[in-house]
Amino acid sequence: MRLEIQSIDIHDLQPGSKTYVKDRVLYVNLKELEEILLKDSRIKSVDINLVYPGERVRIVNLLDVVQPRCKIDKVEADFPGFIGRLQIAGSGRTRSLRGVGVLVSNPYTNRKYSALLDMSGLVAEMSRYGKMKHISIAPRIAAGTEERDFEDAVKIAGLKTAVYLARCAEGHPVDEVEVYELDIPNLFVKSNLPRVAYFYQLYSPQHDHLGISDPCFYGSDVRNLTPTILHPNEVLDGGVVGAHTIRALDTYTIQNHGVIKELYRRHGKDLIFVGVVCGVANMEPVPRKRQAVMASKLVKNVLGAEGVILTKIHGGLPHVDLALVAEECEKLGVKTAIFVQPLISYGTLTETLLFNAEAVNLIITVGATMERIKIPLDAERFLGGTADTKIFCPDPIVQHAGDPLIDVEQFLIAGVHDHLGGANIMVKEY
Amino acid sequence: MTEKKLKVVHYLNQFFGQVGGEEKADIGFMVKSGPLGPGLALQKALGNKADVMATLICGDNTFSKNPEVSAEEGFKLIEPYHPDLFFAGPAFAAGRYGVACGAICKTVGEKLGIPVITGMYEENPGVEMYRKHAFICKTRNSARGMTESIAHMTQLAFKLIFGEKEVDLLSQENLPKPEEFKYFSRHLLRNEYVDKTAAERSVNKLLVKMRGEAFESEVTLPKFEKIEPPLPIKNLLTSEIILISDGGLVPKGNPHGLSGRGNLRWATYEIDTFIPEDFNSSNYEIAHTGYFPVQILEDPNRLVPVDAVRDLIKEGKVGKLHPSFFSTSGNATVSRRCAEMGEEMGEEIKKRGGINAVILTST
Repeated sequence: MRLEIQSIDIHDLQPGSKTYVKDRVLYVNLKELEEILLKDSRIKSVDINLVYPGERVRIVNLLDVVQPRCKIDKVEADFPGFIGRLQIAGSGRTRSLRGVGVLVSNPYTNRKYSALLDMSGLVAEMSRYGKMKHISIAPRIAAGTEERDFEDAVKIAGLKTAVYLARCAEGHPVDEVEVYELDIPNLFVKSNLPRVAYFYQLYSPQHDHLGISDPCFYGSDVRNLTPTILHPNEVLDGGVVGAHTIRALDTYTIQNHGVIKELYRRHGKDLIFVGVVCGVANMEPVPRKRQAVMASKLVKNVLGAEGVILTKIHGGLPHVDLALVAEECEKLGVKTAIFVQPLISYGTLTETLLFNAEAVNLIITVGATMERIKIPLDAERFLGGTADTKIFCPDPIVQHAGDPLIDVEQFLIAGVHDHLGGANIMVKEY
Repeated sequence: MTEKKLKVVHYLNQFFGQVGGEEKADIGFMVKSGPLGPGLALQKALGNKADVMATLICGDNTFSKNPEVSAEEGFKLIEPYHPDLFFAGPAFAAGRYGVACGAICKTVGEKLGIPVITGMYEENPGVEMYRKHAFICKTRNSARGMTESIAHMTQLAFKLIFGEKEVDLLSQENLPKPEEFKYFSRHLLRNEYVDKTAAERSVNKLLVKMRGEAFESEVTLPKFEKIEPPLPIKNLLTSEIILISDGGLVPKGNPHGLSGRGNLRWATYEIDTFIPEDFNSSNYEIAHTGYFPVQILEDPNRLVPVDAVRDLIKEGKVGKLHPSFFSTSGNATVSRRCAEMGEEMGEEIKKRGGINAVILTST
């Protein structure tokens, strides 16, 4: 499979009478975008705002961040299963706008883990999104719409906005072309390079809101997914999107997947990237074990990997699932490197481990995403909610978006931590 | 305008305080004005930024009889100087001296909120006892390392007093790096910005591991001690049983503030009032985000089997149920604190007397 990502660097963002890109300035016809989003009957109206670095604005109730992208040479192929027709993502040409994002808020959310972003002050310094320009969208719920249905509608509205913006950049010169090509069936070339696979833990059902899993994989939820093989391009190109809460993992992060891009960068130079196995965290021991043996079998006996990197989804329990996959891989002779997320800022790193398996001995700290941080209010304006919007975490403290100082766990800030390895963060003992 | 000089108090034992050797280890506290012994080197290193106002001296035996009480007594002598900065030792490998330095640093630090700095050799028992409570610089095992240790302690002090926010830390605290300032980490974990992404680090390290070479994990594996289960109870009829659970069951409103995850606390509740036979399920909440609590909120006996023990007592099979129940929340917390809480609960059980069995229920 061959994927070509054509990137256009966006230097400015302006409202316009039509949507297009000229001289790296993205002009947006807000009215036209609104009309597109209002085609969804679950949405009554939508707030659309352009936001800029340095602006004293706080965006709350964030459910997703999306990079504007669209397929160039395929029809109805964007985010297949979510907005496009069901087909396999990851081949052909994709246009991508850099330096600009879509901030997707659900002002009606009842979830405790919705993210926030400030475009000025401490948060803007910490978050990669604080340095970008954004189209913020915040849909309002249509009467009679169920809470979970509306969440899906908001999610889709974000993806639609991203596709719409990228489509309208047609004809603009391209700043960079990246080619992601991996011919997995023909990788059995003579090579002494080590063969490395990637295990991608996609989802954990432990915090399912109202008992329903979030769709994040070709339009479907993956609660009962049996581990399966993915081509890495499927992940980069819209087959996988973020869940309905960010927690250090949104669609933008997946579109720019840290581990997949790194394995691609090293492919053919100091390793052979043999592909991706994806799976999920489980709530019960038997499915957990089934997951682990199935995943390790695919890694070793189907992809033929000698080494595997394993990343996790946010949470404590997913460590157990991930470590069990790693342990089964090691049993088959596959060397592992496993990501962990220390959940507490006290003790030694060793004492924070939530598993104990002798063979799982190469552990990477992706970030203590629950480390607390105090954020003085710098914003004068609130999008996606109001100054009264509740900011949860840590429980049981309840704070409000307009408080002079909020004290939160860092995973609530969009664009700081990255479970997929893209952030230059590690956890150290002090 | 000249900067105001910092006020410093320094603690020494009888030997470094030049009172005498082991034969003087039983002397009580005394205060001498200005620097003394190693304090002269300390004053020199501090230069014109700080003045060692006084030196507090105590015999090692006297201090170590009851370190906490001694530290309180010593603190009363330190307080009148209103120090901005407190140094103790360095104690090198001397065990009693190390404990004294650690204990007095802990008390001064907690009461005055000022930087407290000492120095010890890695095998000094004071390191593990007090590393959480003081900045303990790493020293050699003997006083030959004095000049070097005083220099490290002073550099660390200046960093704590004059240092800028640490831009490498996401929290932006002014927290010196243990390896750079050569002190024992204080059991804090912090997110730090580093050169390489987690993705780059993982690929680099995995390739090393795959080559069969020595690789460096960012987290070392735990070595758990094997704990033998105690002998079974001989006679349940004469036994008093206490119930303990880590399922996070607390009264509505969570009065002791147990956290739903990463909890560091435990609390006791009286069973008669907390889980009476005619309990009202609206009186409870669960401080634990690691499981679905619906069934337990309906009936707390599903987590804390008070009803079953009551039945067994009625049937004449069990002697007595201890009137209070210990509650904590075990969800993604740190094993060190779990062990500490276990010890605290054990102490409490011993103190109460008469309890000879514990039923621990988890989720």
